[in-house]
Amino acid sequence: MNKVIQMLLVLTSIGIISGGLLAVISEWADPLIAANQKAATEAAIFRVQPEGKSYKQIENVGFELYKVINEKNEDAGFALVYDGNGFSGKIRLIAGLSEDLSNISAIEILDQIETPGLGTKITEEPFTSQFLKLETNPKIEWIKGAEPTKPNEIQTITGATISSKAVVAILNDGISRLKKLRDSGGLK
Amino acid sequence: MGTLTQTETKQKVYFDLTTSPHLHSGWSTSKVMWFVNLALVPSIAAALVFFGIYQILIILTAVIFAVGTEALIQYIRKKEITWFDGSAALTGLLLALTLPPNFSLSATAIGSVVAIGLGKQIFGGIGYNIFNPALVGRAFLQAAFPVQITTWTKPNFAVDSVSSATPLAAFKFDKLITDTPALALGNVGGSLGETSALAVLIGGIFLIAVGIVNWRIPFSMIIGMFVFSGVFWLINPQQYPTPVFQIFAGSFLFGAMFMATDWVTSPITNKGMWIFGLGISLVLVVIRLFGGLPEGVMYSILIMNAFVPMINRFTKPRTFGAVKEDKK
Amino acid sequence: MKKQVSLKREFLKGVWDNNPVLKQLLGLCPVLAVTVSAINGLAMGLAATFVLFMASLLISTIRKTIPPQVRIASFIVIIATFVTIVDLVMKAKFPDLSKALGPFIPLIVVNCMILGRQEAFASKNSPGRAILDALGMGAGFTIALIILGGIREIIGSRTFFGFQVMPNQFEPWLIMILPAGAFLTLGLILGAVNIYTDRKKRLEHESIIAHYKRVGREELIEELEVK
Repeated sequence: MNKVIQMLLVLTSIGIISGGLLAVISEWADPLIAANQKAATEAAIFRVQPEGKSYKQIENVGFELYKVINEKNEDAGFALVYDGNGFSGKIRLIAGLSEDLSNISAIEILDQIETPGLGTKITEEPFTSQFLKLETNPKIEWIKGAEPTKPNEIQTITGATISSKAVVAILNDGISRLKKLRDSGGLK
Repeated sequence: MGTLTQTETKQKVYFDLTTSPHLHSGWSTSKVMWFVNLALVPSIAAALVFFGIYQILIILTAVIFAVGTEALIQYIRKKEITWFDGSAALTGLLLALTLPPNFSLSATAIGSVVAIGLGKQIFGGIGYNIFNPALVGRAFLQAAFPVQITTWTKPNFAVDSVSSATPLAAFKFDKLITDTPALALGNVGGSLGETSALAVLIGGIFLIAVGIVNWRIPFSMIIGMFVFSGVFWLINPQQYPTPVFQIFAGSFLFGAMFMATDWVTSPITNKGMWIFGLGISLVLVVIRLFGGLPEGVMYSILIMNAFVPMINRFTKPRTFGAVKEDKK
Repeated sequence: MKKQVSLKREFLKGVWDNNPVLKQLLGLCPVLAVTVSAINGLAMGLAATFVLFMASLLISTIRKTIPPQVRIASFIVIIATFVTIVDLVMKAKFPDLSKALGPFIPLIVVNCMILGRQEAFASKNSPGRAILDALGMGAGFTIALIILGGIREIIGSRTFFGFQVMPNQFEPWLIMILPAGAFLTLGLILGAVNIYTDRKKRLEHESIIAHYKRVGREELIEELEVK
């Protein structure tokens, strides 16, 4: 009986001490982690909307959407966070859109687990810079192995066609949802 | 080793104490290897005709580095240096013929070193390797330089409708079917040795005729391909290509004749060969039709290579006269 | 009472003779998964060393209080606590590193190297020896991870700790930063280590035989061969 009590006692006290220690640490770390995440989102929003000075999140639309406001306190456009399936997993990206949703100011890939050295090129130049001032009407298109000729067209990466097409598909998907939302007056 | 033609050997008068087998077919490893090298001549010629004289450099680089690596490792390990038996040269040659035209020579050399070093010598040399060494080298290059190895060039006699994309890639990504005559002749984009079905068939039939290649493996692969891809074609002819296209496109015939039939890495029983060949074509159909890659001959052969010891074990023929054991 | 080894040996055995990665092949999951670069290897190594150090110190201190029936449970709870601390601190202070190492920091909990040291060493030795052992094992683990990560980074992305060391003409071998590259590199390193150890053993053996011959005690050689 003595042994059982000792076992209970030891395990319980280890558990209590561990729990207490973790509570203290997490009390200290949680605000920092939240601040890090906020800073990361903020930096990404201003990278895709370079003219932006401040932003506010548009709530209750079913996805992450921010309204960006410029220096003169005018609407600069939107920042849309959207995700979809890539070649080997989810791709999550942020796109800056003009006020009338007709073109993209810039995009940035936030999370991806594509093939290193191939699919991961979607996060780098020159692929990302193709989206600067890209038109979104009627939708973004892609071309393989040739220079883009249309204002709404980008060139896919050699050897990473699927990842490139996934980025386009995610953007088209997100933007069409956004347009629907605007047409139904949800952006007001 | 399959069904070799057995030449008549004269009865010797003295007793030679050796373990079985006692009858020698007259085929030494070295002779076999040089015969297979010879059978590849039509494919080499086709490669030079369709893709230009530069390809000879790829072939020479691959062969020299394969033979050199073999000799170097055998020297370091203080083994008998067998670099002239043709097996390393064959590995280099097979590797070169699976590479795209105008592939960089330094990468070719890396592929050869890996093929012999990691594909063959690390297991203990000829006869001990599990996987086809040339395909190990090719798989390494595929993973190391994925962009280079899928950069194809147009064949020399390209008419405008022939693009530089391989027929399989053209079908997979753009749903374009290449004409069968062009495929058979080899006037399409692709690896050095795989484009000309005609050249591959000449070499393959020669090997079957002299008895080096057992017909069961290529035959079962072709039958399997015909049946498995035919089923999908019948289900939806718009979505899936015809079996004839599947057989002639890509490196299927090259793999069937030269890669899958490697003595070391294929099953030794007749029944096993059928299982092996059908298995390769089943895996290949799945990769080609449902995988992310347009071509999968290399992976399907490597995958089935891994099953060879198991296939051999389960298809072991009964000893003559032995009674079938009751299963528990 | 068994003979105590010197404190210096207690530390050094983890670095080479009993190196957790190269000799014991323990904790290979993070070893293979995170070593795409030298910096990842270093961070993973340091994180694991910290957890190992704290857990060894604590467990060897209270080793006589823990009833043997619940020792594994106690070890895991203590290890998990420190792992969670490392995870939280990294997320708060080094968000980029934490993102690169992903789920492998929380997975240190089940790293068999750490649990193995608690079971085999810390729970049977004094705190002083336990921390030396932990530091040695941690150092061995970290060094192995840096070597593996370094080789993969140099060949796979031309850089070492982020600085370019290979010329631009060198086409990076993408396979090295893919999982296959981890297996190939680790296999070749283990092969090299085995060749080296075998050679050393053979040379030692030969020198002993030579010594016996010199002093004229050939009968001892036979004894040696039997062993």
